[in-house]
Amino acid sequence: MSNAAVTISGMNKYYGSFHALKNINLTVQKGERIVICGPSGSGKSTLIRCINKLEEHQQGSINVLGTELDDNVGNIDQIRREVGMVFQHFNLFPHLTVLENCTLSPMLARKMPQDEAENMAMTYLERVRIPEQAEKFPGELSGGQQQRVAIARALCMKPEVLLFDEPTSALDPEMISEVLEVMVSLAKDGMTMLCVTHEMGFARQVADRVIFMDQGEIVEQAAPEEFFGAPKNERTQNFLNQILSH
Amino acid sequence: MTDQIAVFIPPHSNIAQRLRKRFFSSAMNSVITIIVGLFLAWAVWNVFNWAILNAVWASPDGTSKVCHGIEGACWAVIDVRWRLIIFGLFPFEEQWRSTFACIVIVMVAIMSCVPFFWKPMRLGPLWVVGFAIFYTLMAGGVFGLSYVGPADWGGLTLTVFVYAAGVLIGMPTAIALALLRRSELPVIAKTTGAIIDAVRSLPLVSILFTAALILPFVLPGFLVGDKIWRVIIGFALFFAAYQAEIIRSGIQALPSGQEEAAKALGLTYWQRINRIILPQAFRNALPPTINQFVITFKETSLIVIIGFFEVLASGNAAFGSGEWSHAWVEVYCFVAMIYFVFVFSLSRYGAYLERHLRVGQH
Repeated sequence: MSNAAVTISGMNKYYGSFHALKNINLTVQKGERIVICGPSGSGKSTLIRCINKLEEHQQGSINVLGTELDDNVGNIDQIRREVGMVFQHFNLFPHLTVLENCTLSPMLARKMPQDEAENMAMTYLERVRIPEQAEKFPGELSGGQQQRVAIARALCMKPEVLLFDEPTSALDPEMISEVLEVMVSLAKDGMTMLCVTHEMGFARQVADRVIFMDQGEIVEQAAPEEFFGAPKNERTQNFLNQILSH
Repeated sequence: MTDQIAVFIPPHSNIAQRLRKRFFSSAMNSVITIIVGLFLAWAVWNVFNWAILNAVWASPDGTSKVCHGIEGACWAVIDVRWRLIIFGLFPFEEQWRSTFACIVIVMVAIMSCVPFFWKPMRLGPLWVVGFAIFYTLMAGGVFGLSYVGPADWGGLTLTVFVYAAGVLIGMPTAIALALLRRSELPVIAKTTGAIIDAVRSLPLVSILFTAALILPFVLPGFLVGDKIWRVIIGFALFFAAYQAEIIRSGIQALPSGQEEAAKALGLTYWQRINRIILPQAFRNALPPTINQFVITFKETSLIVIIGFFEVLASGNAAFGSGEWSHAWVEVYCFVAMIYFVFVFSLSRYGAYLERHLRVGQH
């Protein structure tokens, strides 16, 4: 078995007649950290949402951890258990406490006993530095705290791959760093990560590769020094000028 | 968060100040207050006179003679005829069975309102046992109890039974219809939508009529069953069509991120429905759900048209024999009070649920 976590080849995605993703080829090795950036509407969120089939692709193949993403519901549920996702708007379950948010899926999808699941959840809540909020409901927490709970919830499934869909875009500025710190520490522990984000400081610090997308295509991909230092494509240069100028 | 709320308490005005502010703040308001106050006092005094002071409460000889020439209410009709109202045509000497049967259903209903029982593995057996006891007591034919067919059931017991059975069959049906209508397969979604719309477009009376009188000609013999069950199924279907749309509205109100997060965690369809979607949908849809429960309780009075003497029809019968025909207001007051007790309890329970379920929703 190869060392690839995610292999996407010749993948196309359409919304009706709109060609959202065009001939995507991407291989992500285990332990690799990838940052995906690009202008709004470039298809970067759609791309990572295809990896756990929140969006369906129409052509090409996506292979996640050796399993082909097809129409087999069993395969999809299995892949989703191995691929964690952190959303822009956290999407915590408001009717469950922080602890229940974290233990629900391990108990249901992994059949883990309750006490074991709770111990593990507390470990991860400590890791994101909010164990004292375990009995609260999501609505009682700040945005930054909610996003850290969302990360802990994803970690509780012990995923092989973590997808981040603009995890800091909905946060107040003063809360961005607390979430980024958690993400940096995960990256340092060797988690395989695909992050859609505009946090270029984060990209420089942890990414093995930065991917630039525009109009549904992967325009350029390179290691961060090269990507930020000497972008080859004109569209990449324009984009970087815009977001780095302020 | 309460510890962060400021501890300043607004200065408390005394009663005289508050009265002046609310009722006598201008000359016009003072006039209106006095006129309305006088009218209310007059109305309350008259009702009190009629219902309490000048009322006749009992009829020692069981006839309506005690009520001749009195100015107040003739509550004696209730004293003499209450058994007819509560039990309908149920055989007189067996009415203790109907009493216990009614109490069992009400007790089971109250127990289902306690959060402890809100699990399918507890709620299911509770109602199976409840209905088994009810049916044994009412129908008899075993344990030395004489057989009483559903055609002879009546009064409050019948009302409560039809309601409980209708809602209990209707609620799972409603959930199924709501989920099917959201199906990704257009054929299933459209068919379900058509069924819901069709049932909603028909008057309940016509559905009950069809269930009671027309289905026996259409269905094969072994499917016909007793009329009471056909009526309950028709009743449940009508309830389900409305409740399905209420549940669907609760589901539509959820942000799409909820289902996506549940999917991304690897939860299966039924896990997502049971643990994420439905609990939140029911919380969203609680006020219209209570509304539907209340309306449905009162709609049970329509089963009279296919010959079932539920509590309102039994009430009609109670003053229908010439002797007590002057006492219809009293009988209706009594029946109204019974409805009020049930429906008001439901409303209060709804209010409790809203407070209880709001935990954590800020």
